[in-house]
Amino acid sequence: MGNCLKAQSADDISLLRGSETQDGNDQALGPPPPYQERVAPRAPIYYPSPNVSRPANLLTEDEQVKIAKRLGLIVHLPCGVYDGCSKKGKECAICMCDFVMGESLRFLPCMHTYHKDCIDDWLMRSFTCPSCMEPVDAALLTSYETS
Amino acid sequence: MAIEQSFLLLKKQLAELNKNPVEGFSAGLLDDEDMYKWEVLIYGPPDTLFEGGFFKAHLIFPKEYPLKPPKMIFQTEIFHPNIAKDGSVCISILHEPGDDKYGYEKASERWLPVHTVETILVSVISMLADPNDESPANVDAAKIWRENPDEFKKRVAKCVRKSQDAFE
Repeated sequence: MGNCLKAQSADDISLLRGSETQDGNDQALGPPPPYQERVAPRAPIYYPSPNVSRPANLLTEDEQVKIAKRLGLIVHLPCGVYDGCSKKGKECAICMCDFVMGESLRFLPCMHTYHKDCIDDWLMRSFTCPSCMEPVDAALLTSYETS
Repeated sequence: MAIEQSFLLLKKQLAELNKNPVEGFSAGLLDDEDMYKWEVLIYGPPDTLFEGGFFKAHLIFPKEYPLKPPKMIFQTEIFHPNIAKDGSVCISILHEPGDDKYGYEKASERWLPVHTVETILVSVISMLADPNDESPANVDAAKIWRENPDEFKKRVAKCVRKSQDAFE
């Protein structure tokens, strides 16, 4: 998430500079489309292994496979909305904020619960529950087998 | 959102540590304007060679905290197998998260986003008492620790004395 934000702010600056150079140009409405084109292809950043961060378009084939698998597994983890009476904890251990009614939550197979945004960002870096250090994929596979 | 999250999380920890200080260290900001640079003072743990020492260190947090770990660098000279000569602390919980293909460390031994200034310092204090010579950051210190305990004791005692002088 942080990287997306940074990428966007960098673009904002370039937009500002771009419009300065266009000073005095009556057709001020002209420029936006090309800038949007430039913003659109900016690839999300992934973390295929420790100390490695790469935009999607520079990933090796193995890394692409690893990330595709990871995205696929995350999608299968149950999620829901905090209803205020959940017994599975009231606080997200990642951001240390209390759950608020209506927030999206993600439930890991080890029964730990986090904000969906907080844990999804983390799981893309490490497929481990931050609270119990249980590898999520192993737990996921066994829960599939038993069900 | 992430930048705001890391800022708020660190602010919360600072307030909590000011309200309920933890035994064994004190912590604050290096510069009141910068939430991402902390200065901590570690008291050499009792019943270890480091007892009586005052060791200053900096914790530098990335904007991606808590998804990425901070760096910890001792400012006071300290002789220890897991602390490099430039002061950088090398323990697995401060290593970037994820599984590396060489299997050097399991993901569960690396950084986790639930670590706080307090849990990091508790680990570092226990590392002072109990060095790990499997992956030393200071090879000389690891060798001396393993092969010549008396010399190791002497070298550490020298650091402890020096650290006390700095606070007189």
